[in-house]
Amino acid sequence: MTEINIRKTPLSEMHEKLGAKMVNFEDWYMPVKFEGVIEDHIWTREHAGIFDISHMTEFMLEGPDCIPFLKHMMTNSIGIGDYVAQYQHMCYPNGRVVDDLYIYRESAEKVRIIANAQTLETDGKDFNWLKENIGDYKVKITDLSLERTRFAFQGPETLNLLNPITDKDLTQIKRFRWCYTNIIVNSEEIPIFCSRTGYTGEDDWSDSLASFEISCENKYATRVYQIFLDTGAKPIGIGARDSLRLECCYALYGNDINNEITTVEANLGWVVKEKEGFNFIGQEILLKQKSEGPKKISVGLNLLDKGILRAGYRIISLGGEDIGHITSGTFAPTLNKTVGLALINSEYKAIGSELDVLIRGKKKRAVIVKTPFYTRGKKI
Amino acid sequence: MEFPGDLKYQATHEWVKIEGDIATVGISAHAQDQLGEIVFVELPSVGDSLEKGAVAANVESSKAVGEVVTPFTGEITAVNENLEDEPEVVNSSPYGDGWIFKVKISNASEADGLLDAAGYQATL
Repeated sequence: MTEINIRKTPLSEMHEKLGAKMVNFEDWYMPVKFEGVIEDHIWTREHAGIFDISHMTEFMLEGPDCIPFLKHMMTNSIGIGDYVAQYQHMCYPNGRVVDDLYIYRESAEKVRIIANAQTLETDGKDFNWLKENIGDYKVKITDLSLERTRFAFQGPETLNLLNPITDKDLTQIKRFRWCYTNIIVNSEEIPIFCSRTGYTGEDDWSDSLASFEISCENKYATRVYQIFLDTGAKPIGIGARDSLRLECCYALYGNDINNEITTVEANLGWVVKEKEGFNFIGQEILLKQKSEGPKKISVGLNLLDKGILRAGYRIISLGGEDIGHITSGTFAPTLNKTVGLALINSEYKAIGSELDVLIRGKKKRAVIVKTPFYTRGKKI
Repeated sequence: MEFPGDLKYQATHEWVKIEGDIATVGISAHAQDQLGEIVFVELPSVGDSLEKGAVAANVESSKAVGEVVTPFTGEITAVNENLEDEPEVVNSSPYGDGWIFKVKISNASEADGLLDAAGYQATL
């Protein structure tokens, strides 16, 4: 019955025409792969790929209290200037995660948010959480999600392909900065929001290797997609989006963070910052966990035996104790090995320690390794 | 998509080639296509004794796990060890070099429930 409610993005039909294999992903009709998950992945690492990320949500906060409100809602500092982007967690009072997201400050009175997909089950989760907590803050929240189309343009060739078609010089946009610019092709001029952020790790902070996330009004969506494809970038599915992010150990909401895991337990304590004069939701438990260390923590694993790690598999210490579970796992094409993230009892977290993963009732040996598994220009 | 006429099939997407009292088993072209790029094949051990319908092997793609069910009760007589290093052969040659295991047939009547190529295609 839910089939009826599956949502299409403005690009769904173009994906089909491009030969994508389409799936229901988080209640959205999305391309899982174009050439193949591994081929899509490797193409993005070596060239440049276009991702439809319109399933994600986009909000605009406007009003004199934007910054105090965000300082109350978000775990990270908020201490950023105009045209800067910052990774954030929104948490419940118990420190567990409502969502992870980016804020994009335009001014002290105007801040954009791009957050995760809302599924049919969690519809309006972020929006409602923000609304519920708005109290006396003078802030207006507008949901732009269904009016706008979101793309990620990622990979080492991104600047070479994207810069010639934008009127701003994107080499001047530093990492975690953003701008409004126009795509200009012949006489067409299409306004876009363009941020030097991403979920693939294809950015080395230099002026020559950067990746971007972009949004535009829906009326331009298919035209922008075609223009991007005409640059020579290839369309990439959500399958590769997952393996690309996991090589970089970027958390996936629903797996590595969720309403049962705190930000600090997810080993993202750097996203938790004490803010002078402001109490943020979840502060007490998060700051305590950050200073004392959490009882459980996310670690990176390499599987030494053959196999594939998958979310939910139990982790057994060499002493035979059940100490946690895999939150994400994949075959990592860039590294040619099996990697995963696991939430385990903190006493077992030392890098180099071995443990067993229970795969279909059999113990397979794994080792805790440094994260991330992949950094641009460097392989483990 | 190809479904060779000299093979038998199970609705669970295995193909079966019967030669004397040995059955060679792999997964169909449809199954490998649905799974996507195969990145790992978990093989049974030679000498394992399995009941018809038991999971003998697992074929894993980047996104999913596919179970390979034995069509005959009997002992595993061979496994395709090459798949440990080159699991992608299941994609490129599902009916040839991508075979997965061989089982010794102990009860030939178990073949009665197997599908022919047309019967299998009708289930897709």
